[in-house]
Amino acid sequence: MTKQMIISVMSKDRPGIIANITGAVYRLGGDVADLNQTVLCGYLTMILSASFDPEVTKEDLVAAISHIKTDFKFEVSIKEIDPATHDEWTGTPEETYILTVQGPNKAGIVHGISQFCYEHNINIFDLATTLKSEQYTMALQLDLKKCTCTLETLQKELEEYSRQSHLTVMIQHNDIFQVTNEVTLH
Amino acid sequence: MLRSDQILATVEMIQKENLDVRTVTMGISLLDCRCGSVDETCRKIKDKICVYAGNFVATCDDMGKKYGIPVVNKRIAVSPIAFVGAGFHRADFTRIARTLDQAATAVGIDILGGFSAQVEKGMTETDREFIAAIPEALTLTDKVCSSVNIATTQKGINMYAVAMMGKTVKELADNTADQDGFGAAKFVVFCNQPGDNPFMAGAIHGLEEADAVLNVGVSGPGVIARALERFIRKHPKPRTLQLDKLAEEIKQTTFRVTRCGELIGRAVSKSLGIEFGVVDLSLAPTPTIGDSVGEIFKILGVDAVGAPGSTAILAMLNDAVKKGGIFASKTVGGLSGAFIPVMEDAVLAEAVGDGSLCLEKLEAMTCVCSVGIDMVAIPGSVDADTIAAIIADEMALGVMNAKTTAVRLIPVPGKEEGDHVNFGGLFGASPIMPVRNVGKSSRFIAWGGRMPAPVHSFRN
Repeated sequence: MTKQMIISVMSKDRPGIIANITGAVYRLGGDVADLNQTVLCGYLTMILSASFDPEVTKEDLVAAISHIKTDFKFEVSIKEIDPATHDEWTGTPEETYILTVQGPNKAGIVHGISQFCYEHNINIFDLATTLKSEQYTMALQLDLKKCTCTLETLQKELEEYSRQSHLTVMIQHNDIFQVTNEVTLH
Repeated sequence: MLRSDQILATVEMIQKENLDVRTVTMGISLLDCRCGSVDETCRKIKDKICVYAGNFVATCDDMGKKYGIPVVNKRIAVSPIAFVGAGFHRADFTRIARTLDQAATAVGIDILGGFSAQVEKGMTETDREFIAAIPEALTLTDKVCSSVNIATTQKGINMYAVAMMGKTVKELADNTADQDGFGAAKFVVFCNQPGDNPFMAGAIHGLEEADAVLNVGVSGPGVIARALERFIRKHPKPRTLQLDKLAEEIKQTTFRVTRCGELIGRAVSKSLGIEFGVVDLSLAPTPTIGDSVGEIFKILGVDAVGAPGSTAILAMLNDAVKKGGIFASKTVGGLSGAFIPVMEDAVLAEAVGDGSLCLEKLEAMTCVCSVGIDMVAIPGSVDADTIAAIIADEMALGVMNAKTTAVRLIPVPGKEEGDHVNFGGLFGASPIMPVRNVGKSSRFIAWGGRMPAPVHSFRN
């Protein structure tokens, strides 16, 4: 029986952070299952899941990471997953949709659209934003499985949202983007 | 998730370029519908079409909504009816045409193709009866389209059939004189007709096909035109853009367009439980402004369609479309080339009106694209033999170049050069195109017989 932990780390970006953190995990006999990292404004954040022998504790891992020599302190948060209460993670849903939002940069764009998703019980699976020449672009990957309305109604409501917010909003099935941008045809 | 720039390129294509799936066409074999009587045969034909295509339109609409890309036309192609009704007579074939019309209405489609025969080498008594039935059959029906294949690279040209086609076109136009000869717009003569082309009026469900199959026609030329305009705008400095780069842009856009067509076609196919056939890469224009092949000529550098350079541009366009599409799709087929149907393309029609596009240049352009002299309104006074001779020329291009060519001429009764004809909707409008040297080909057509297959057809 292994113990699974979710580790979140934030630090000023520099070469070697992933090597440091995974090195600490490795020294404790841990096995990294999945890792995601991104860099924003020179700061790195990463989240990884790893499994350890049952005797390894959260505190052991915090200690291992705090022993890493670094100019910028790591901000670390660790959660132990209790298999009894943990819902089985099923991975990316079979069908996702991509919502794109484009318009001149102003405060509240991300909040507005994420609030819209929340109100419709839509889970935001992935989100990327870019700001170029004062033009703000946001692409969200959405899981509509638990959405409170039909796709048709959602499209109409998004049109209305687009009118009121003066943003160009469009929702399309993820498959459209996959087939038009990837060489492999699934 | 994909990169934002990739997502935005696709968004732009859907949002600004009106990306769609031009047609999903269900091919249905009717070969097992032949019964002892025409009544029984008609009943079986209608039943079979309704069983296979009962949910066809609704399924296409559902998939269009799910993916946010509309399927513009939903159509049916059936086995060539001259084979289905072997041994039947002229009046029987007219009854079958009416049954097909009723079946098309029952399943909610706008056009059904396959009222067809294949007589490229010889002609049976049934074929003669069938061809004699075409004018009446198309006059009495709204949704049925007809085609006859009269030439192949393997067999040469059936010159008796060529003469008959000239008369059939005239009769069709005269029968529908009150609609400016619209009957002739539903009839097309072919060389090397494919059995899996989803576009009308020449769609058939070939004898080589399975019981039922779905073929898809990709989005129109508007998407390519807009992509080219955008690409040219991004290169404002002189001499920074050459034709090879423009060809590459066409190729990449076609890749995306084809992928969307295939995705939706396969989704419909899976939902209906009907085998997926092919993606036809043809760029099919519509009379809608901004959905024109003619416009692409102008974008690529000729100020008038038909001006020197037009054939070269069309050759490059056609080739780039194929290169992008063939890689994108698992199975490409049908006609797969740019169409230049004059009445259905506002810019081509305009070029006829201002005299920049003549019949001879149009014929030259058909050497490098599909499908041929398509939807051209000519003076009603042009005789059947001259029409037959125009057909013979186009058939010769197809035979010698081992490609599909076709002719769909409308000799508009009572109208001459300078007049205008308008069929409305997808069939479009155009000034009447003048025909030179009328009445000078009768001795040629009168020979009949067969024009032998070319030497390069003997490959065994």
